[in-house]
Amino acid sequence: MIIEILIAFTLVAALATFFAPDRVSGKLAFALSLVPVVGSLYMWSLFDASGNALLQGSQVAFETNMPWISLGGYEIAWHVGLDGISLPLFVLTTVLTSLAIVSAWTPIDTRASQFYGLMLFMEASLLGVFSALDFFAWFVFWEAVLVPMYFLIGVWGGPRRKYAAIKFFVYTNVASLAMFIGFMALVFALGDSVTSLGLPEIAQATRAGEVGSYFGLGAGAIKTVAFAAMFVGFGVKVPIAPFHTWLPDAHVEAPTPVSVMLAGVLLKMGTYALLRFNFTMLPDVAAQYAIIIAVFAVVSVIYGAFLALAQQDLKRIVAYSSVSSMGYVILGLVAYTLYGVGGATFQMVAHGLISGLMFMTVGVIYNTTHTRMVGDMSGLADRMPVTVGILVAAAFGYMGLPLMAGFAAEFFIFVGSFGSQTLPFAPLFTALAMFGIVVVAGYLLFAMQRTLFGPFRLETDYTVGPAPLHDKLPIAVLLLLVIALGVAPELFWGMILDAVEPVLETGGGA
Amino acid sequence: MAAFDYAPVIVLLPFLSFLVAIGTAIFARGKNVLPKGGALPGIVAMAGALLLSIWMFVTVEAQGAYDQTLYTWASGPGEGTFTLTFGVLVDQLSAMMLVIVTLVSLLVHVFSLGYMNDEDETGLPRYYAGLGLFSASMLGFVVADNLLMAFMFFELVGLCSWLLIGFWFREPGPPSAAKKAFLVTRFGDYFFLIGVVAVFATFGTSQFSPIGGMEAFPVLAEEALTGSAEGINTFGFDAATWFNIVGLLVLGGVVGKSAQFPLHTWLPDAMEGPTPVSALIHAATMVAAGVFLVARMYGFYALIPTTLAIIAFIGGFTALFAATMGVVKREIKQVLAYSTISQYGYMMLALGGGGYVAATFHLMTHAFFKALLFLGAGSVIIAMHHNENMWDMGGLKERMPVTYYTFLSGSLALAGIFPFAGFWSKDEVLYETLVHGLGGSPLLLAAYAMGLLAVFFTGFYTFRMVLLTFHGEPRSETARNPHGVRWNVKGPLVVLGVLAATAGFANLVPVEKLTGANVDFLHDWLYHGPETLNGEHYSTLLHDVAGYTAADFSVLISAAVSLGMALAGVGLAWMLYNDPSPEEHTAKLGAVKDLWYHNYYQDEFQVWLAETGGLGIARGSDKFDQGVVDGVVNGVSSVSLFSGSRVKRVQTGVVSNYAALLTLGVVVLMVALGLYGGWFL
Repeated sequence: MIIEILIAFTLVAALATFFAPDRVSGKLAFALSLVPVVGSLYMWSLFDASGNALLQGSQVAFETNMPWISLGGYEIAWHVGLDGISLPLFVLTTVLTSLAIVSAWTPIDTRASQFYGLMLFMEASLLGVFSALDFFAWFVFWEAVLVPMYFLIGVWGGPRRKYAAIKFFVYTNVASLAMFIGFMALVFALGDSVTSLGLPEIAQATRAGEVGSYFGLGAGAIKTVAFAAMFVGFGVKVPIAPFHTWLPDAHVEAPTPVSVMLAGVLLKMGTYALLRFNFTMLPDVAAQYAIIIAVFAVVSVIYGAFLALAQQDLKRIVAYSSVSSMGYVILGLVAYTLYGVGGATFQMVAHGLISGLMFMTVGVIYNTTHTRMVGDMSGLADRMPVTVGILVAAAFGYMGLPLMAGFAAEFFIFVGSFGSQTLPFAPLFTALAMFGIVVVAGYLLFAMQRTLFGPFRLETDYTVGPAPLHDKLPIAVLLLLVIALGVAPELFWGMILDAVEPVLETGGGA
Repeated sequence: MAAFDYAPVIVLLPFLSFLVAIGTAIFARGKNVLPKGGALPGIVAMAGALLLSIWMFVTVEAQGAYDQTLYTWASGPGEGTFTLTFGVLVDQLSAMMLVIVTLVSLLVHVFSLGYMNDEDETGLPRYYAGLGLFSASMLGFVVADNLLMAFMFFELVGLCSWLLIGFWFREPGPPSAAKKAFLVTRFGDYFFLIGVVAVFATFGTSQFSPIGGMEAFPVLAEEALTGSAEGINTFGFDAATWFNIVGLLVLGGVVGKSAQFPLHTWLPDAMEGPTPVSALIHAATMVAAGVFLVARMYGFYALIPTTLAIIAFIGGFTALFAATMGVVKREIKQVLAYSTISQYGYMMLALGGGGYVAATFHLMTHAFFKALLFLGAGSVIIAMHHNENMWDMGGLKERMPVTYYTFLSGSLALAGIFPFAGFWSKDEVLYETLVHGLGGSPLLLAAYAMGLLAVFFTGFYTFRMVLLTFHGEPRSETARNPHGVRWNVKGPLVVLGVLAATAGFANLVPVEKLTGANVDFLHDWLYHGPETLNGEHYSTLLHDVAGYTAADFSVLISAAVSLGMALAGVGLAWMLYNDPSPEEHTAKLGAVKDLWYHNYYQDEFQVWLAETGGLGIARGSDKFDQGVVDGVVNGVSSVSLFSGSRVKRVQTGVVSNYAALLTLGVVVLMVALGLYGGWFL
């Protein structure tokens, strides 16, 4: 029940905030958003699931499964629940939304109540995405995320907000269409072996080799087509190079809190879905095309990192670096080992926190300096020491400094993928992808040296001083979370592995 | 085993001083809350850590080594997964290193009172926070009982070097030097991390020594080579080949941190940091970390002679290469920087040459005399109002006698003059390489020759530095009236001055050979220890697996040759520079001087590589991304917009047009259906 309560509460909170006076809406939204935070942490403390929610022999936590409607011969149920893969993302969503709301207090000064209402509406949809276990509800939530995001970028964004918002919406929506067609082809190919759109039933049927021929294509072909369609569909969301060009535009135009949500949580929808659909349902296809997928992963890591190196806008740097970091997730998934897939899941959370932290901190600096261009300023460390200190720590976290979450995630992925049996030439792919850790250090250190250090310089007619406390608190909290997860990855690691392990046991015809 | 329960406290104490100082820096900025800006908590913490380390040292002597897993960082279920842990390994090697690190760090803290506090520097809590974290990271690295933990602290050491080298962030130079130091070492660490991952993928564990249920990877490697190990994945290679690859990957990190060719370029730039930090980086932390790592996993390296030969060759080459550059430098700290690179080259030479004890011995003596020389240089820099150019100095001997005599002690040790510390250790380095080279490894002989030649250059640049700085007539107004230094500068100098003169007595191998007295204490110390982590085990491995044999050669002749080279270098410096107003004799070297002064254009080359290589690829990728990848995306949208705009012309809004189209449509439809249905046949 608790999942429904939290989603419903967040929806009601969104509505209430939407109609609240602008003046109080920020504080109200924050106060209301604390309820899902507390709720999800409470769920973390009670968490007793075992196994993978989609596969046999699992016990799903906080599960509800009741019949809902019948559609085209398929039973549709309201089926939600969490396992070790989704709970960390569930917690990530609630925590990051709350902090993003606080980070909006300074920059958002028009139509504030609508802004916070949309943020909470987005949170509710995201919670739905990570907890739904029936395709119908899952897809509704999946698409519902796009709507608030479109308005958040298009209304509160920068000068080119309309272009960015439309590009984001059209690009990801076309991708959703591809994914939908691919998934439906798979479902129809399963024929009579499935009677519902329940994700566990479909996953178990495909893994048991129930996929038949459909539309004149053999089982193998239909699986390949479905895999490719879903891979591209989810890959746009991740984003995997070369489907990433919507991302920098969206990030640069989006206001800070929206960038935080976009990089911190929305990208993880893509990798989460890849794990749930492609790699859980069709592991044999993934193994067959492992080299191609690994090439996508390595290109994302290295190409994304070099693109970041060429940028002058701090937000663009972080945006491209997300492409790079998410490439590690793909590498972990395709390696198909316990530490690889587990590390990929861990990286979703770690990168969610760290990229959120980076965007938020860059936003705090932007609030003060009104510029994000590397060449426009230098020596900020002198004027805003605490913010700069946190930015430095965050940047080192991004570079994979040990005892911070990013290192744990990346190390798990590397150690998992190096010895992969599924991926041919695994050591070579791993070593190539790891070069990302050198490039990331390059672009972040260059950008920091030029903006933060040296003599203070910024052509401006307003004073540049320390940021207000409510700007600094959320980044401080995020930094502590990043360190906590780096020192004690077991906070999530055990449950992640528990849910990942059944995925790797390829049964039946797979 | 009560004493060893306190081993983690050695790491935690400086970490605590870091927390105190950084907390003050954040929450009480500009207020003078901490006594001496954080120096006192740091000094107390380091003194405590030093006492504990000595206690560990004594306990290891009495009870033997200690290895304990303290914390499971991450683990997987069942067989075939990895257990990633933090553990403390206090054995003969790490106990010795603990004492060195804590002692040098304590002295650096005390010296900082004179160098930073007395000079009214700002940001002191941040400075002492950096020192605390630096010491804690290094100590954590030293006691690490597995390769992953070692890597993690190794990286933290890198972070601290960035923080401290860039301490004076308001100037343009230090942040740039800090960035370079981190990036160059990061490049090495990239290979190291692949190595760590490869060790896990190969052996399933990265323990240095077997503990509990966990096996040790050097032991597994040894078994694999002697033909009795199972479950080792060598990725389709022959075991020996694969181990060489892994060994070389890990070596990448060593070459970066220990500033060996070609990743040495960060170190001279790192002189932008405060001088006490340079002392810490060069003597006891960071740079020492690389060499210590090879010593720590010597049980693995001793199995792979190809890698050993490469290590020796890199070491010998670096020793000579860096020493030549030291000959022409004008700044006192630059000379010391190149001497550090050169001296670590000797340690690498020893490790590659089969001289485990020799390398560790030189690591110890170098820690003392290099810390001394940097702190002495720091004292001179205070006196000279932060002018570091030796050509502005001269005649400081009479004006600062404590600094002079201690600096002289360190210089004699660095040059390798009997009976100072460096003589004994450097001699042993060269001797071990020579005998193993003569025993059938010709590559080692080449490395030895370079190392031996470097002795001459070392003697020369060291005494060029001493003579230019302290002798002759003062060549500037500040040199005539230097700024005085206090006890907090002189105290550490005296302690280290005594150690630089006497630390060599820890291992008097030539004396033992001559008199038969059992005075090679360090040798005996390191030959005891855990079963697979002691010098005796390593020498067995070297002999049995790597095929190293020691030729019979008199240590006395070797010592005499190297001492002769050193004296020749010192003598030449004396001839040229012991002059009231010396000339720039090195200018006579012409093009060679330019080459040396510009560091063989290595910096230019690497900057070129980073800019045209790295930034070039980045800019090209960006153009490609904007033009091609995003171009296609925008192209697709333009195509649909364009076709939409054309198709919409059908909607003219004129009723008669619609009527005409409608009629036309009906006619076409009827004709088509008629044809299909066969009406016209």
